[in-house]
Amino acid sequence: MKILLVEDNERVSQFVIKGLQEAGHTIDHASNGREGMFLGASEPYDVIIMDRMLPGDIDGLAIIEVLRKAGKHTPILILSALSEVDDRIRGLRSGGDDYLTKPFAFGELLARLDALHRRAQGVNRESPLSVGDLHMDPLTRKVTRGDRQIALQPREFKLLEYLMRHADQVVTRTMLLENVWDYHFDPQTNVVDVHISKLRQKIDAEFERPLLRTVRNAGYMVTAGE
Amino acid sequence: MMRSSALSLALGYVALGIAALVLFAAPLWYAWQVTIRDGRNEILQADAQRLADLYRRDGSASLKNFIDARVHMQIAGDRILLLTDSSLQPLAGNLSDWPHNLPAAPGNYRVEVDTADHGIQSTLVHVTQLGNLYLLVGRDNKLFAPLERRFWYGLTAAIAVLSIAGLLVGLITRRALMSRVHSIRRTISAIIHGDLKHRLPAHSSGDELDTLAGTINGMLDQIELLVHGVRNVSNSIAHDLRTPLAELRSRLEELALIRPSPERTFGEIDAAVADVDRVIRIFDALLRLAEIDAGMRRSGFQSLDLVDMASAAVEFYAPAAELKRTELGFHGAGPLSVMGDPILLAQALGNLIDNALKYAPENGSIDVVVRRRSDTTAEISVTDDGPGIKDSEKSKVLERFYRGDASRGTPGVGLGLSVVHAVAKLHGGALELSERSPGLKVVLVLPCGDAHTPPGVLAAGADAGPAPPSPVATATPASAAAATTTPGG
Repeated sequence: MKILLVEDNERVSQFVIKGLQEAGHTIDHASNGREGMFLGASEPYDVIIMDRMLPGDIDGLAIIEVLRKAGKHTPILILSALSEVDDRIRGLRSGGDDYLTKPFAFGELLARLDALHRRAQGVNRESPLSVGDLHMDPLTRKVTRGDRQIALQPREFKLLEYLMRHADQVVTRTMLLENVWDYHFDPQTNVVDVHISKLRQKIDAEFERPLLRTVRNAGYMVTAGE
Repeated sequence: MMRSSALSLALGYVALGIAALVLFAAPLWYAWQVTIRDGRNEILQADAQRLADLYRRDGSASLKNFIDARVHMQIAGDRILLLTDSSLQPLAGNLSDWPHNLPAAPGNYRVEVDTADHGIQSTLVHVTQLGNLYLLVGRDNKLFAPLERRFWYGLTAAIAVLSIAGLLVGLITRRALMSRVHSIRRTISAIIHGDLKHRLPAHSSGDELDTLAGTINGMLDQIELLVHGVRNVSNSIAHDLRTPLAELRSRLEELALIRPSPERTFGEIDAAVADVDRVIRIFDALLRLAEIDAGMRRSGFQSLDLVDMASAAVEFYAPAAELKRTELGFHGAGPLSVMGDPILLAQALGNLIDNALKYAPENGSIDVVVRRRSDTTAEISVTDDGPGIKDSEKSKVLERFYRGDASRGTPGVGLGLSVVHAVAKLHGGALELSERSPGLKVVLVLPCGDAHTPPGVLAAGADAGPAPPSPVATATPASAAAATTTPGG
């Protein structure tokens, strides 16, 4: 992916740039609003990471609004130290596609960037999904693995659908909470893990090769690869 | 100084008073003038008539003598008399000349005459033609002038008194007002300088300023509460963040000091990241609390179905309960709509179920019930059969960071119930804790609008009121869940 990072904090920038480069992405970095607006408007990027509060007279939200008005539909992830729900809503309303609060785990950032990128590629929400020998038809809500049909509860279906739409990508617990349950808080018990292990029981238990894997310190991934 | 509202108000009233006085006096003056003029004309005509009678009976010489006699004997009084020939040359009387501008034609006129006694004055005269003589009869004004003068004096005095009184009242009011405004200002500047204990002096008069003072005092109470809350939170932060930060610090210091094998180093780094995550979690919870306390989230209120929300939450926690072999039950008949913040209410309910799961024993049970409590309130209750909370601890568990004896050794930051409490308050509701034996029942009470469904259906199902008249008289719902299948009452 070609990514633009607009962030003024040097340490955070280095940390993000290094991590993203290691993950195989190309990064352009702008450390102020003017530069960020210029790059964002002139270069084609797959995803833009935008810090909300920038030095100078142009802040992140203003850049996003300008880019959107100019007809740029590049997915934008807002990075902000403002964690209040209203700030988040304001950020998304200004045209941002996702919102991540500082401090954040790098895994969370990477997973969200992947998800944004994939969403932007325009997925047909009705076309069947498959990972290895696991198949899902969102229309008939039928799930099969090999030649066996798997019966899922509606929420389990939604969980698996989200994981499969982001196949081969790490999906964090927070992303699952937000997108599958629409919960914007952190349950103290490991409820998401329990849901995952229940789902795993249904799709992986009697098969030789597990598809739903736990990624340490990050989240989960559905993949047919090694 | 000049920009005093009390003073300008008083001056306005004075102007209004003067205008009223003038409006009252003007028609009176006019009526008076008309009456006097008519009366005097009549008198003059009668005078002239008498002299004319004398002329007709005894001739002009006799009339001349009569007038001369009157004038000379000083018995003319206030009368003005003048007899002239046809060319207006005086023959007799107390006027030396025929007044100029006065036409020589019979009628009533107002003219300036120059009398010997009283000088020039404006008066009414009556002119009569007797053969080829002209007779002018008048009376001077000395009878009415003092009356008129008194009228004008009276009016002027009234206006003066009104003005002075108005000005005085304005000044006094302004003084009284300023003294109260000053005391309010003194109090407020004391508050600005940091002493939130001060309150505005409230008199018992209940006037506008008192009402204002009451409102401001209410605002100050709220501000003090908020500031107190912020202080509490900062104390709590200082206290509770220290522990994980201290752990983190010693972990990192040890790493730098001992330089263990790479394998152990990575393990320690992971542990350090977990420490940081814990700190962040506490921060998030605190910020969320502060946000709720500040009442800022009310803008996010929307209509939502409590039953829907609760059943989703129960479904969310069901696998976790199953894993702990705890029975998680749900009762609720919807829809039961309330105005609220969906994110916060979901979090509040999540915290309650989280807590219950934490404290419910192995093979225990948790019950989540959503029902209408009264016409204007709804409740969500979460009941567990865990250790419960001692009476002495009940008020403390709502405090930030308080962790009961039973919670020692379980994960959590001690903010769960505080968040629920804050959410309840934000929604104008309440949080109630009650003892079960064994266990704890936590009830989140929320205000709700009038039911879209007939209230009787839910009330009957929840045994909260007498059964309403129902078209299906034999169907007595046994539980809230059963009530949904009963046609509306």
